[in-house]
Amino acid sequence: MTVDEIICRQFVEVATDYLEGAVRDEDLELVEEHLAMCDWCREYLHQIEATSAAVAEGASSAPPDATLQALVGAFRDRTRGDAPR
Amino acid sequence: MPTPPTTSTHATARAEDADAPLLAALRAGDEQAFATLVTRYHATLKRVARSYVSTDAVADDVVQETWLAVIGAIDRFEQRSTLKTWLFHILMNKAKTRGVRERRSVPFASLARAGEDAPTVSPDRFQREGDAWPGHWATPPRPWEDPERRLASLEAREYLRAAIAALPATQQAVLTLRDVEGLDSDEVCELLDLSAGNQRVILHRARARMRNELERYFDATG
Repeated sequence: MTVDEIICRQFVEVATDYLEGAVRDEDLELVEEHLAMCDWCREYLHQIEATSAAVAEGASSAPPDATLQALVGAFRDRTRGDAPR
Repeated sequence: MPTPPTTSTHATARAEDADAPLLAALRAGDEQAFATLVTRYHATLKRVARSYVSTDAVADDVVQETWLAVIGAIDRFEQRSTLKTWLFHILMNKAKTRGVRERRSVPFASLARAGEDAPTVSPDRFQREGDAWPGHWATPPRPWEDPERRLASLEAREYLRAAIAALPATQQAVLTLRDVEGLDSDEVCELLDLSAGNQRVILHRARARMRNELERYFDATG
């Protein structure tokens, strides 16, 4: 890149690359300069991290009970059939 | 069983298998342990399967086949990977087989690319040409007050689940594997046949869209 700064609209598209350490060396300084100056983009980055954490906490969901019971039944049958002890 | 000596950091990381305590119980035929395993991974397996096949019903079949394969093979599992990684590999084999049968195994990467260039934050949020600072925030993100507490309610969790379910299938798969299951990018690329760059694009699109949804939720709930 030949630009000497990045703007907020560009920063929001590289937020995950930045968190992953995947911003190219030649762009990293520009990204960090922008972050140092821009409270709002720091807030945006913080919210992307908070989103990732929220997804981790909130995404779990148990299978339908009938599905679970059927699978446990298959596990039971197999244990009895193949591994008498 | 003593941990074998190793010099590989990768292998060291793998040795920390959070599911290891379940394994002995599973091999002993402990139904509760199996129910725990199914409850822990069923939703993730379904999301990943759904990114490879065309309908929910087929994804359900693939997950069912996966669990039956796990039941049949648990005694032969050699712990060269974590139990979780092993599960996902079985799933991918089942999903790819089914995807091929459905003639839908290849388009994953190309589907993922569709819309890749569209901005993840609405252009309305930024100043326009002719404004004082074009491309800088016009409507910046407002700080979130205590997000953990506000997301702890049943209502918030339901909202979050629905928002994840509304993402495109590929985004759901990558987001779930990375941010829920904690797989690293190399593992996700290998499992889903993605390039590193493409994986990051998909992950970012998913996170950015989920951030927008959370922002809407926090704005609406004050």
